[in-house]
Amino acid sequence: MGDQYRDTGWFGVLFTTFIVFSILYNIARARRGKSLFIRRIAGLNAIDEAVGRATEMGKPVVMVPGLSDTTVNAKSMQAINIFAYVARVAARFATPILVCCYNSGIYAVSQEIIRDVYQEEGLADRYDVDSVRFISDRQFAFAAGVSGLILRERAAAAFFMGEFYAESLILAESANTVGAIQVASSTEITQTPFFIAACDYVLIGDEFYAASAYLTRQPVLVGSLIGQDWGKLTIALTVLLGVIGGTYAIHTQTDTSWDDKNELVIGLPHRAKPADGLLQRLLIPKPEADVKVERPQYSPDEIPKPDKGGGS
Amino acid sequence: MLPIFADLDPHTIWNAPSGSIELVIKCMVALLLGAAFVGICFAIPSQLRRFIIFTATFVSGGFYILFYYFPAPIARQPLDQPRNVLEGFSFWLTDAQPIIATISNTIGSFLIGLGIYSLMRVHLRKLMKKQKDWGYSLVLFVSMLLMVTFGYWDYFDRFGKDGAAMAAGPAGGAWHFQQYANDILFDGFFQQMEAGMFSMVAFYILSAAYRAFRARSIEATILLATALVVMLSVMGAVVYQWDEGIKALAHNDPGSFLNNFKLDVIAAWLKDAVQTPSIRGIDFGVGIGLLAMGLRLWLNLDKTGGAV
Repeated sequence: MGDQYRDTGWFGVLFTTFIVFSILYNIARARRGKSLFIRRIAGLNAIDEAVGRATEMGKPVVMVPGLSDTTVNAKSMQAINIFAYVARVAARFATPILVCCYNSGIYAVSQEIIRDVYQEEGLADRYDVDSVRFISDRQFAFAAGVSGLILRERAAAAFFMGEFYAESLILAESANTVGAIQVASSTEITQTPFFIAACDYVLIGDEFYAASAYLTRQPVLVGSLIGQDWGKLTIALTVLLGVIGGTYAIHTQTDTSWDDKNELVIGLPHRAKPADGLLQRLLIPKPEADVKVERPQYSPDEIPKPDKGGGS
Repeated sequence: MLPIFADLDPHTIWNAPSGSIELVIKCMVALLLGAAFVGICFAIPSQLRRFIIFTATFVSGGFYILFYYFPAPIARQPLDQPRNVLEGFSFWLTDAQPIIATISNTIGSFLIGLGIYSLMRVHLRKLMKKQKDWGYSLVLFVSMLLMVTFGYWDYFDRFGKDGAAMAAGPAGGAWHFQQYANDILFDGFFQQMEAGMFSMVAFYILSAAYRAFRARSIEATILLATALVVMLSVMGAVVYQWDEGIKALAHNDPGSFLNNFKLDVIAAWLKDAVQTPSIRGIDFGVGIGLLAMGLRLWLNLDKTGGAV
């Protein structure tokens, strides 16, 4: 296969497509009733314990679905899905909850989902509209607001799940100050150590995405989780292949050239650059070369021009 | 392709000159239509609302999937016409993306109203009923009012009605009450309070680290030991003394195996061979998890609500 095919980035697309199909295939498999195994996740077993403690103490359970600069994204949706389970358990025991939102989009979605949870449980009268609150969309104003709520309400349990940045430790330490049980998870790898240091239970990496499957055992979620594992296994195999291929390439690259008398000169084997490795070329395409394509042209008058009224 | 997704011509129905009555009327009509749509969404049965949400999610998700999967036009120049249907579609996808992003941002901006409504409801009630800590609610209202007032007052001084920054700054370069007030409120108070909040992280790191680094279990002991090595490896005096000791043990032989036990070498090994691969592994897991979650949302496979 020629280099021009390796360098277009098609392998990344193929790889992603494979992972997508393995997820969809396993969802279909789980829907057919195939029994699939999920290992124990301690942080998620602690949810019932944390809500139970809050019930005994008569103090609220605080939930924070993280920060997200966009309106609503998949990470915040996953956090809200987990909180829906927590709210369901809390609703059954009439435990007060507080969902603190950084983003007004997340606030709207959270309110809808938590209200649905109470209605599905037949406990709509226990739902307090102010239990889901918009705090602020400024990072440290949000941190100050949530910390204040935790301290004033003396929360018995705190769940921090989703995208967290520098405010993670402020929130976790505030909850620790009032002795709340904390279950946390950040999709930002740089914040996970802070949560590990400050919280009782931490979901690391993709455990966050496994949580809803683990808690609800819905076939779609369990199947999706197995599909994710297939994807991870494929990546692990690719890494292994990369190690073997990279090691082989490093030790065998030899330059050849022709001298003045047009005789072939074979150089000594030397260490190749990593960029010359097969997998490097497959996964990291070269930037587009300076090419020109001949196309029919519009006349300049046909293109809208920006003026006071708009256009770009 | 659809003119709505082309670059907006100033003379189409979708546009109007800045500052004109026509623009104000069009904005008001759009706002009313938006509000009516939201009202209809609240009024219709939940099943139908979910169908609308699913359709919107599927169409917009489908657009972005096509945008990323379909080959982008190569070396496109501003006056280029597509050579064939496939290239025409590729041009259309590229042209439509900023417009779709603008639509998405516009819808998102509607939501800020919901957020402000939530804040007002919680704090107004607290204030009216003089509930516990009502003073904080009063502070919130006063600060909100001041920031909005002086923020907009200053903004309209600094920017013309076309949204372009005035060359000479506010009112020909001189600062007035509104500029000083905005500066004091935003840079003087708000930014400083944010910085103050951020600086508290330093103290929290200390207290959290104290708890985490107690050798209560095997895992905590490993954490303690590795953290100690990494911290010591950035202390010049300690590194010098340790490395001198290693050199002496190795009899100054650069090829000695003992050189692997220099502090900075151990720390580098920990970072390169232990920390980085672990982070990569976690990143892969998070990436695939995000992909699966996005796929389920796009295809409406997720049953939200945490039902068991």
